Amino acid sequence: MVSDAASLKERLAALIDEPLAVTLDITALQRIDTAGLQLMTAFVRDRAGQGRTVEWQGSAPVLATAARLLGLTSLLQLPA
Amino acid sequence: MTIDLTQFHDAFFEESFEALDSMETALLKLDIGAPDKELINTIFRVAHSIKGGSATFGFSDIASFTHSLETLLDELRSGGMQVTLAMSDLLLKSVDVMRAMLRAVQHKQPINAQRVSDLQFDLELMIAQKNSAPAAAPAQATPVAEAPAPAPPAAAAPAPARWEIAFRPYAELFARGNDPLRMLRELAELGQLESTVDIGGLPAFAALDPQSCYLAWNLVLTGDVAESTIRQVFEWAEGDCDLQIRLTSPAPAMQTVASGQIEGAQPVAVPSAPVEPAPVPAAAPLALAAAAAVATKADAPAKPDAPVATVADSGSIRVSVEKIDELMNTVGELVITQAMLSQLGSKLEGPTAEKLRGGLAQLERNMRELQESVMRVRMLPINVVFSRFPRMVRDLAQRLGKQIELKLTGEQTELDKTVLEKIGDPLVHLVRNSIDHGIEAPATRTAAGKPAAGTVHLDACHRGGNIAVEVSDDGGGLDKDRILAKARDRGLVGPNDVLTDEQVYDLIFLPGFSTAEKTTDVSGRGVGMDVVRRNIKELGGKIELRSEHGKGSKTIITLPLTLAIVDGQSVSVGSETYIVPLISIVESMQLKAADVSRLSGRGEVFSFRGYYLPIVRLYELFGVEPRTKVLDEGLVVVAEGEGHQRVGLFVDDLLGQQQVVIKSLEANYGHVEGVSGATILGDGSVALILDVPGLIRAISMRAAA
Repeated sequence: MVSDAASLKERLAALIDEPLAVTLDITALQRIDTAGLQLMTAFVRDRAGQGRTVEWQGSAPVLATAARLLGLTSLLQLPA
Repeated sequence: MTIDLTQFHDAFFEESFEALDSMETALLKLDIGAPDKELINTIFRVAHSIKGGSATFGFSDIASFTHSLETLLDELRSGGMQVTLAMSDLLLKSVDVMRAMLRAVQHKQPINAQRVSDLQFDLELMIAQKNSAPAAAPAQATPVAEAPAPAPPAAAAPAPARWEIAFRPYAELFARGNDPLRMLRELAELGQLESTVDIGGLPAFAALDPQSCYLAWNLVLTGDVAESTIRQVFEWAEGDCDLQIRLTSPAPAMQTVASGQIEGAQPVAVPSAPVEPAPVPAAAPLALAAAAAVATKADAPAKPDAPVATVADSGSIRVSVEKIDELMNTVGELVITQAMLSQLGSKLEGPTAEKLRGGLAQLERNMRELQESVMRVRMLPINVVFSRFPRMVRDLAQRLGKQIELKLTGEQTELDKTVLEKIGDPLVHLVRNSIDHGIEAPATRTAAGKPAAGTVHLDACHRGGNIAVEVSDDGGGLDKDRILAKARDRGLVGPNDVLTDEQVYDLIFLPGFSTAEKTTDVSGRGVGMDVVRRNIKELGGKIELRSEHGKGSKTIITLPLTLAIVDGQSVSVGSETYIVPLISIVESMQLKAADVSRLSGRGEVFSFRGYYLPIVRLYELFGVEPRTKVLDEGLVVVAEGEGHQRVGLFVDDLLGQQQVVIKSLEANYGHVEGVSGATILGDGSVALILDVPGLIRAISMRAAA
């Protein structure tokens, strides 16, 4: 479980240069804040810039709603 | 950039404690099942601001705890969870824990981590239980649309307002405990929200500081919403973001302005920037609006009604008590100088003297007003103390299995801050006594034909120059026989002494006296009423007890409004003047030689209303050469100390009654037994203010020696 943005960044940082497709499992996601979404956005954008993809596994209504509110759905490449 | 944040700590603590008090009050008012939304908002705001503050100052334990609390409260606010009794208990406990944490941090002591984490676990558990509950998705139901919008609602008849909100948080927004997500969610509840994010400021992932906010939003909110409501959503972010709110015509097919354009048009938007005056001409096409904004902005200050909202300032300032005391002191000196001048002026002759006296009279009036105003600055409503009772009563009643209704009246009665601070503990004690001893168990009450729920009533009012605080209950009242039996048991009263009701009630003020059949952790340990009375006496007040068996009891506390001045009677002994506080004086009289008798071992006594009171010759006590040593040539002031102990103070003469400004002897010299302070008289001489209870103690100690 990731409780704050700093540790989320650490975990994502380990994956940023991963040449293979990265799959983020969000099934267990219970809470998300803007800081976390901001990180994910940067993560997805930077990987996309290098032609690398990020895939989402599972669905988290919390994440979907938050992304929609913040206008980040498409940037996160979330299923609309 | 480093700013020394410690300078803000005191203000943070002070504000947080106050906020917690209001949170507690709100929690207690919260109805289970059908909570008032406004109350929940109040509670939420407190948790939110404490979280923000503690995050800013790096009190991570508090921030983390309040975060959990806030999440739970957020669920309550959004209606995702219901207020249950268990939850309200949990929230009240959280208030206690936050208070304890703040206090620990304030005094640089370790936080009781176990207690905190236990409670935090409970909070998280409660949230988790909700989350696992099926189909609780209020947020999902809210109409949120991803930008670009599917064409805003057609401009049908009463077209809803269309607000354009440019929200550009500063980097430190997150660190202050604010989450744009929460604000946007709130906005989405107000109407239809389209949000366009600007990620232009988002650095590369590796360079990104997870605690900084790099995003900005351009929002369009369509709905019947007032601007102030929108501002309220951003209230907590004020100072941490640039915010522009603009009402545009409800015309359809308008494109959201690109963020760059807004930036260009309004380069320096201040956090609380006055909003564009609401009615931008409805016809103005938005393409112009961005450019026009500059113009509108320029003339905005000229419009008297331009800046709305965000003027939430209540018009008060925080001033340290020392500053007020200093002011008070100076005013006291002024009063003395003025009295000196008046005395001097009254002796002058001639035509100018008359004018001078007129001026002096004016000065005296103004002085009195000034003194009263300064005094009022120190006054606070007694509510400050009363407000802690609802919680206490609730907890106690729960623990003792009694039903108690607390009634508070006269909360707005004002009294001096120093008095206020010292009255709290005695009142707590009295209320506890009422609940523990006074109010009977529900079954006993119903059997006696009383409502199952007992009432404890706290009342405050001004009475003359004093304030009266009453604690009454409709419980069983004091059991006179039991008190008397107990006193006889302990040899405090002789087996054959007959006591009046008053004297019997007085017994419970004796140290170590308790009639509680079994000692509870609430009261009954016998340390209490004597301490209560001592505290009240120290404040120059009186405490009185009335009780009716089976119907309840009432404690009346009479206190001076302030400790800074006292109403006194000046008396002369030889060349000296002494002040006897009026509150201690029962009567003044001239003795006849026949009234006086000598008792072996008790000195001189005189008969007063059927009792023999000792005579205290003040000149002997203070070593002054008096005008007369013959008792019937002088006067006797009958003064009362603790518990109806009375003495006759023998003085030369009575001079007059006046309000005197108390100067502390301790601060300037040292403690003197029997003297509570000093004052400076109109002629510049110093007079001692007698402390009658202390005086009586000193005398009886001398007699015993």
